[in-house]
Amino acid sequence: MSAANLYLERPALTPAAEDLREEVRTFIAEQRDSGALPPPERIGLGFDVDMTQRIADRGWIGLTWPRQYGGQERSALERYVMNEELLAASVPVGAHWVADRQSGPVLLKFGTEEQKRFYLPQIASGNCYFCIGMSEPESGSDLASLKTRADRVAGGWRINGRKIWTTNAHRVHYMIALARTSPAEGARHAGISQLIIDLKAPGVTVTPIISMAGEHDFNEVLLEDVLVPDEALIGTEGNGWNQVSAELAYERSGPERWLSSFRLISELVDVLGADTQPSTQEELGRLISHLLALRQLSLAVAGMIEQGKSPNIEASIVKDLGTKFEQEAVRVARNIASAEDLVGNGRAPRLRALLMHAQQYAPAFTIRGGTNEILRGIIARGIGLR
Amino acid sequence: MNENQTFFRATIERILADTVGKAELDHAEERQLPEAFFSVLVENGITSMLLPEDTGGIGASLGDAAIILRAAGAAAAPGPLLETMLAQKLLASSGLGPAQGLLSLVFINEAPGLVGSRWSDAVLHDVPWSQAVEKILIVSRSGNEARLLVSDPAGWTTEPGMDAAGEPRDLLTAEAIDVTSANCGDYDSWLCAASMLRAAQILGSAEWSLRRSIEYASERKQFGREIGKFQAVQQMLAELAGHILAAATIVEAAADDCHPTMIAAARSRLGDAADAAIAISHQVHGALGFSQEYALNSRTRRLMAWRDDFGSVLYWRRVLARQFTGLSREAFWPAIADAGATVPR
Repeated sequence: MSAANLYLERPALTPAAEDLREEVRTFIAEQRDSGALPPPERIGLGFDVDMTQRIADRGWIGLTWPRQYGGQERSALERYVMNEELLAASVPVGAHWVADRQSGPVLLKFGTEEQKRFYLPQIASGNCYFCIGMSEPESGSDLASLKTRADRVAGGWRINGRKIWTTNAHRVHYMIALARTSPAEGARHAGISQLIIDLKAPGVTVTPIISMAGEHDFNEVLLEDVLVPDEALIGTEGNGWNQVSAELAYERSGPERWLSSFRLISELVDVLGADTQPSTQEELGRLISHLLALRQLSLAVAGMIEQGKSPNIEASIVKDLGTKFEQEAVRVARNIASAEDLVGNGRAPRLRALLMHAQQYAPAFTIRGGTNEILRGIIARGIGLR
Repeated sequence: MNENQTFFRATIERILADTVGKAELDHAEERQLPEAFFSVLVENGITSMLLPEDTGGIGASLGDAAIILRAAGAAAAPGPLLETMLAQKLLASSGLGPAQGLLSLVFINEAPGLVGSRWSDAVLHDVPWSQAVEKILIVSRSGNEARLLVSDPAGWTTEPGMDAAGEPRDLLTAEAIDVTSANCGDYDSWLCAASMLRAAQILGSAEWSLRRSIEYASERKQFGREIGKFQAVQQMLAELAGHILAAATIVEAAADDCHPTMIAAARSRLGDAADAAIAISHQVHGALGFSQEYALNSRTRRLMAWRDDFGSVLYWRRVLARQFTGLSREAFWPAIADAGATVPR
C-alpha cells in the first residue's frame, strides 16, 4: 500500500524457505514423539539448554550469518519461516533467543573481527547466551536518560550502574550494556556506548524479580566497579544510540510479537471442536483474520529486511498490532471458554491453566520491547506528524 | 504489483482525476450516473476487462480488477463499476454474450416462484442503480451451484431506495417477469470474487480517509499549533495507520490468489479497519467532517454502505472460523501458515 509513506510488498516464499519449513515441522514432530515437547500450560519462550543444543545441532542458530562465524548464510525469510514454526509449536527457544535475534546481529554489524570470531561461533553452537542491558530503574521509555557510566581506565572501562527487567540475566553468559561514556551535554543521544559484560565478572550482582505471572525471568543487575577490557566496546564509542536503534528493529518486527500466546488459541481450537455457536465462530473468525493479516505484515517486513531495507515504521506497526492482538486473544479465549462452557467442573485442565497464566502474562505484551505509546509516536512521525 | 497492474493504476487514476469530482458525487445522490466517467471506462475497455480477449475483453485477472476498484474506492467513484465488471465475466462464463452498457448485480439465496424462464411474484432487494443499467443480473443459489438470471430493468416495478452513501439501491418487484437463465458454476466462488472486489473498494476508501486525516491534522491549528502535534491525535492516527496497513496486506493477498480463506479473512479484517477509519477520521476532523459539503463523508459513508456487502463482516467471520474449527492443537498452526498457499501443500 502507499498511503502515508507506508509501503509493504508481499514477498514470495522461496522453495528453500518452504523446504526449511518442512524440515522444522519434521523436527517438531520428532520432539513431540520423543516426549521432549509436551503441550504447554504456560506462556513464555522457555529456557531449555538441551532444546537449544538440539536446535544448534541443526544449524538453526545464526542461520543467516556468514559460514566463517558458524552461520549458514541462509536468507532472512528462511529465518522468519523457521522462527514462526518453532514459536507456533511452543518450542522453548528462550536460552539462545536474544543472542540469535539481537546480540549476534549487532556484533556482526558493528563488532570487531576479533569479537565476531570469539562470540558468534559460540552462539551458533548453542553454548553462549546473552541478555539486554538497556532499561534502568529511572530509564524506561526514556532510554536516553540512562545513568549507567563506563569510565575510561588503563586497558579498559570501569562500569557502574543498575540495569533492570533484564530477562535471563541469572542464566546467560553475557550482557550487552548501554552505558554513558561521556557526559550528557547538548545532544542527549550522544556519548552513549555499547559494552559487553561477562556476567561472572567481579562487581556484577544479579537479583531476581518475580513477575506477577509467577515467573523468574526478570532480574535487576547491579554493576559496581565492573572492569571490562578495551575489547568489550562494540562499534564506535559514543555511537551506542544509533546502534541500539538498529537493534530495536530486530526486536520489534519478529513473529514472537504475535505468536507468544498462540498456544492458547491452538489449545482453544483443539478443545472447542467443530460444533460451535455462531457467536463463537464470529469471535474466533475475527481473531483468525487478525492473525492472518499480522502474519502477512510480518512476512512483508521480513522480506524488506531481506532486501536490505529498514522498515522501522512498519516494524513498529507489527509490534503495536501484534501485542494488541495477543491481549485480544486472551479476552476472546476467555469469552469463548465461557460461552461454550469449556473449562468448568474440571474440564480441559490444560486450557484452564493456559488461560489463567495468559491473563496474568498479558499486561506485559504491550510494554516489553517498547511500550505501544512510544511505538505509536514512532509511527506518527513516520506518517508525517510530529 | 506487476507491470500491467502499475499501468492499470496509472490509467484509472488519470481517468478518475479527469471525470470524478464533487459535482459527480453530488449528482449520484440524485440518482444520476457520472456519465463521462463511465463512457471513458467503456471506451478504454475497463468495464469489460475481465472478459477473455476472444469475447472483446483483455483477459484481465480479478487481481487486476481489484487495482481499478481500489483506486475507484479512494475516489468514491459512484456507479455500478464492480457490478458491471463482474457481471460481464458472469455472462461470458455462462455462455451468454457480453452486454454493451452497464449492468447491475445481486446475489440471492433462493428464487421462489421461478419456473423455467418465468419468475412469478419476484422480489429483489437493494439492487444497485437498477434504472441506469442495461440488464440486471441475479446470481441465485441452488445448493452449491449458481444459476445466473438475466433480466430487463423495464420488466420490474421499481421502488427507489439508497445505500448509506446515497447511491441508488432499489426494491424491485414483478408479478411475473421473463428472465434468461444459465448455469454459472459454483455460487460461493462468485460470491468470493464479488466480495474480494468490494474489499478492494473498501480499502481504497479507508486509505483515502487516513491520508486526508493526516493532511488535515497538519493543516488545522488549535491552541496555536497544528492538531497533529498533539499526542492524543498522533496516537489515534498511528492506530488507524496500523489498521490500514494490516488490511492492505491481507486484501492484497486475497486479490493475488483469490483464495476463499484469504478473502474471508480480508473482509473480516477490513470490517475492523473500516470501523476504525470511520471513527478516527471523523474524530480527527471534528465538526467539519460531519458536514455534507466536506469530502470526508463521501468516503466514510461508502465504508458504511460497503462493509457488509456481498456477505457481512460477521458472515465472513463465520466462514473463516469454519475453516479452522475441528482441528487439533498440532494441526492448527500448519493450517494458518498454509492458508492461501497458491500450491496446496
